[in-house]
Amino acid sequence: MEQDAQLVQQCLQGDGSAWEELVRRHTRRIFNICYRFTGNRTEAEDLSQDVFLRVYRTLASYRSAHGGFATWMTSVTRNLLIDHYRRTRRDRITDSLDDAMPVVENKQSSARRPDELALLGELSSQIQAGLTKLSPELREAVILRDLQQLEYGEIQQVLSVPEGTVKSRINRGRIELARILQQMGVRPS
Amino acid sequence: MNGEPNMNWTCEQTESQLSDYLDGLLQPAERAALEAHAESCARCAPLLASVSALVGNLHGMEMLDTPPRLVYAILDKTLGPRETAVAAPGFFGWLRGIGMPRFAYGAISLSATFLVIASASGFSWRHPKLADLQPAAIARNADRQAHLAFARSAKFVSDLRVVYEIQTRLRQDNEIPTSNEDTVPTTTPNPAPGRTDSGKPGAPNQQNRATAVDRNLQVLATTITSRASLAGVPRIASALCLGSGNGRKNP
Repeated sequence: MEQDAQLVQQCLQGDGSAWEELVRRHTRRIFNICYRFTGNRTEAEDLSQDVFLRVYRTLASYRSAHGGFATWMTSVTRNLLIDHYRRTRRDRITDSLDDAMPVVENKQSSARRPDELALLGELSSQIQAGLTKLSPELREAVILRDLQQLEYGEIQQVLSVPEGTVKSRINRGRIELARILQQMGVRPS
Repeated sequence: MNGEPNMNWTCEQTESQLSDYLDGLLQPAERAALEAHAESCARCAPLLASVSALVGNLHGMEMLDTPPRLVYAILDKTLGPRETAVAAPGFFGWLRGIGMPRFAYGAISLSATFLVIASASGFSWRHPKLADLQPAAIARNADRQAHLAFARSAKFVSDLRVVYEIQTRLRQDNEIPTSNEDTVPTTTPNPAPGRTDSGKPGAPNQQNRATAVDRNLQVLATTITSRASLAGVPRIASALCLGSGNGRKNP
C-alpha cells in the first residue's frame, strides 16, 4: 500500500519506471476483475488497457488519504466495467432470450474456447458462465467479495454504496448465482 | 438456553442472513437460529448447502495468469512505444532479415554467381592477386577463357566426329561377312557330273575381300591416328590401331 503510494508519487514526478512497476503489480488483478465481469478474454484485455489508460491520465487525482491505491484502481475498473456494460447492453439482448432457455445457455457455455476451458476447468467455466448471467450490480459485488476477496469496507468504497447495500448485493448475488447454476445443471461440490 | 431469547427464524430471515452466516458475521444466537431453521426447513436446507458450496468454489477459483503481451500493450498505450523497443530495431532491425531463408537463398545464389564470374575471368583462388581484379585484367582473362572454352568445344566436337566416323566404318565392315560357310551349302543337292563336292567355291573370293577390308582399316587407322594425334586424342588413336586388325597382327 505504502509502496503503491510512493510509486504514484514517483510517477507524478515523471518516473516512467515507477509507472511500469505499478502496471506490473496490478495488471493481473485488474485483468481478472475484467475477465470475471465480462467472461470474455479479449474484452477483458481491452478493458484492462482502458483502465490503466484512465488511471494514468487521472493519477494526479488520487489521494492516498482517501484509501489504498488498489481500492481506487478497483473503483476506476468498476466504473469502466459498468460503462462498458451499458454501452454493450444491446448486444446482450440475446442473453435475455437465453435466460428463458437454460439448455441453450448451457450449450453456449460449453462452446467456449478450448484454452479457456483448460484454464478454468469445467466447474470454474460453468461458474463463470453463471456469473455473466447475474445483473451487473450483483455480479460486481460477488466478484469483489468472493473472487477478489475484498473486505466489506473496501467494496463499499469501490461501489460507493452503504454497507447494508453491499451486504445485500453480495447475499442476493450468491443466492441468485446458486440458482442459475442449479438451472444449468451444475452442482457445486 | 443460555439466557438468550429463542429465535424462530422464517425462510426470508434465513435467506437474507445467509451470507453473513457464511462469512461468520452473525452473533452466536443468530447463528444458532439460522442453523435451527435450516435443519427443519426443506426449502432453506438445500439453499444453504448450495450457496455454501458455491462460496467455497468461488474462493477456490484461481486467478488467471496475465496475458503475455498485456503489460507491454498497456505500457505502449500509456507511455507510448518504448525507447528500447523502438531503438533496437532502428539500429539492428536489418539483422533480423539475415535469419530469413529468402535472404540465405539470395546470398548463396549471389555468391555462386560471383564465383562463376570470377573463375571465368581467370581469377586464381589459390594465388589471388589484386591485379587480377583490375578491369583490364578481367577483360583480358575473360577473353582468353572464352577462346580456350571455344577451342575446347571445337576439339570436343571434332573428337566426337572422329569417333562417329570410326564407329560407322567398323559397323560397315562388320556387316560384310568374312566367311560364307554358313551361307554356302556344304553339299550340292544335284552335283554336276565329274565334279567333286568337297571344295568351297566362295572361299578364295571371301579371303580376298577380308584382306582388302583389313588393308582399308589399316589405312583408316593410320589416317585417324595422325588426325587424332593432331587433335590430342592419343588414346583413341591407339585404340583404333589395336582395333583395326580385328585381333589380327598388324603388319
